[in-house]
Amino acid sequence: MLSKIASCFTVRRIAGVATALMLAMPVAAIANDDDDPWPDLQKSVFGDRQIVEGDGVVTIEAPERAEDPAVVPITISVPATVQGPLRSMSLIIDKNPAPIAAKFDFGPAAGSGGERRMTTRVRVDTYTFIRAIVETEDGKLHMAKAFVKASGGCSAPAPKDADGANADIGKMMVRSYEPEQAHAALRDGVVMIKHPNNSGLQIDQVSRGYVPAWFIRDIEVKRGDELIFNADLGISISTNPNLRFTYSNDPDGNNAVQVTAIDSARTTFTGASANRALAN
Amino acid sequence: MVPPARTRNEKAAFGTGPEQETFSLWPRHRLPGLTRRELLIAGMAISSVPLWGHFAALAAESLTAAAPAAKAMSFSEIAPGVYVHTGRHELQSADNRGDMSNAGFIVGDDAVAVIDTLGSAQVGADMRAAIKAITDKPIRYVINTHMHPDHVFGNIAFRDDKPEFVAHHKMARGLSARAETYLNNTKAALGEAAFEGTEIVLPTLPVQDKLTLDLGGRELVLEAQPAAHTDNDLIVTDAKTGTMFLGDLLFSEHIPTLDGSLRGWLTVIDKLESSPPARVVPGHGPASMEIPAALADEKRYWQTVAGDVRKLIAEGKTLSDATKTAGQSERGKWEMFDQYHVRNVTAAFAELEWE
Repeated sequence: MLSKIASCFTVRRIAGVATALMLAMPVAAIANDDDDPWPDLQKSVFGDRQIVEGDGVVTIEAPERAEDPAVVPITISVPATVQGPLRSMSLIIDKNPAPIAAKFDFGPAAGSGGERRMTTRVRVDTYTFIRAIVETEDGKLHMAKAFVKASGGCSAPAPKDADGANADIGKMMVRSYEPEQAHAALRDGVVMIKHPNNSGLQIDQVSRGYVPAWFIRDIEVKRGDELIFNADLGISISTNPNLRFTYSNDPDGNNAVQVTAIDSARTTFTGASANRALAN
Repeated sequence: MVPPARTRNEKAAFGTGPEQETFSLWPRHRLPGLTRRELLIAGMAISSVPLWGHFAALAAESLTAAAPAAKAMSFSEIAPGVYVHTGRHELQSADNRGDMSNAGFIVGDDAVAVIDTLGSAQVGADMRAAIKAITDKPIRYVINTHMHPDHVFGNIAFRDDKPEFVAHHKMARGLSARAETYLNNTKAALGEAAFEGTEIVLPTLPVQDKLTLDLGGRELVLEAQPAAHTDNDLIVTDAKTGTMFLGDLLFSEHIPTLDGSLRGWLTVIDKLESSPPARVVPGHGPASMEIPAALADEKRYWQTVAGDVRKLIAEGKTLSDATKTAGQSERGKWEMFDQYHVRNVTAAFAELEWE
């Protein structure tokens, strides 16, 4: 009778969890499961291009266990030892229904030295690897990954305060933080957009149907006329998309950030940081 | 409370599930000298040992055998005609069968009103049996203080009484949107046996702002609250005795959990302090308490979390930073801290960063 509980989960999932729990094996062992989606994913996203893992070019920070699977903070970093600008950065959540969470294409104002960082919040649907793949100036791909224990993030229901959340869709907060040293190579910026970012996987029990996908799909972030990055975003990004990033600091110039965001309904939202960046 | 993350449930499901058949020939009795609870803990503690499945299965057997409640559910009469049952401070499990929150009922001259129904059809039925042992007056109203499973999943046990199911006007929407998740997670956590019969019963009588119910010589005042613990909290006051059922707007001993608005919740706490009733009933904690002492711990917790989170936001720190440091001074002051605190901080940060 109790064994029927297993029907809530796929047999394979149980097997994976069992392996991890019972034998306390390193999580890497799970990556060799025959249902590892990464080989196919890699091929479809990057073709035959070689990806180097663990060469110190990129690191990814994620909680080992996601307390709220609908809001999992992820930080991708490229250390100062990596010289030159970055071309792009991809965030992939292997076992999410739409694994490619974000792709960032960097422009000249992203900076070419110092520790570069990108922080966002994602939905995580099950126990999975989350990967960051960075493309350096020489066109090489570098990867870091983290294993996150989470469940149900993509189908996690509506916002906590449903009316409050829908009150000001498109409202944007954009900030630029003063660096600790005035002549630092990089400074921090943040873009926050009020948007339900419906994944399309949430079920409305009244209509017995899925809440349609409706999410921020494209964000362009500039400093003046110069591009910091352009982001293609998927349904894995949490409600109220939040991007915290480093960009080139101009000690004498204007570091204000301008943002244009477009959602899947093709509505455009714009925002900008105050000209005088907020003091730390 | 907020239902536990399913990650934990998966573990629980595994612990009591797949090994079952293999070890069904093991003796159906307890390990000597251990209570059921100790057994369960023992099962978890040795979870990294390859053989743990044997013990877990044994524990599960023992739980299953002991699961049907042998004795009546206990209620204490905290004021004349006002009865409260207190649940355990635990996550949902096969052992507690969803009995892990407070629920009560009030008896008037003509009828009975039930206030929350616990977390499964079976504990709901136990509750109904306990009510029937105390009074034979009809159950005319089943009131839910908010949408969470541990307060509403027993509703089904009262369906044959044909009561009005009463709740905040936003409760049906909130529960509907989460129905799939709540049912799946509860089934996984309770196990098939303890979950059996559980269905969602939505409100039939929504409270827009304020509603008065007459039980015969006894009026209950129901007041819909702005977003606080959830976006559908309802306060029930028995005018006759000045007893106020706060649902999960009040946690004591058990850490409060945020599924609505932190700022809204602090506002409700201020409002309660300014006009305290004779006594309050928390959603989790003792059967009866008095303001202001009842609210002191909860208020301190939320003020600490809000203060720490606001400071970190002002310093330009991230959500991830906040989950590691904010409110850590509250550790040790609450049961279930490790299960819910980081979630609370995450929710608080996501709300307060928009100030």
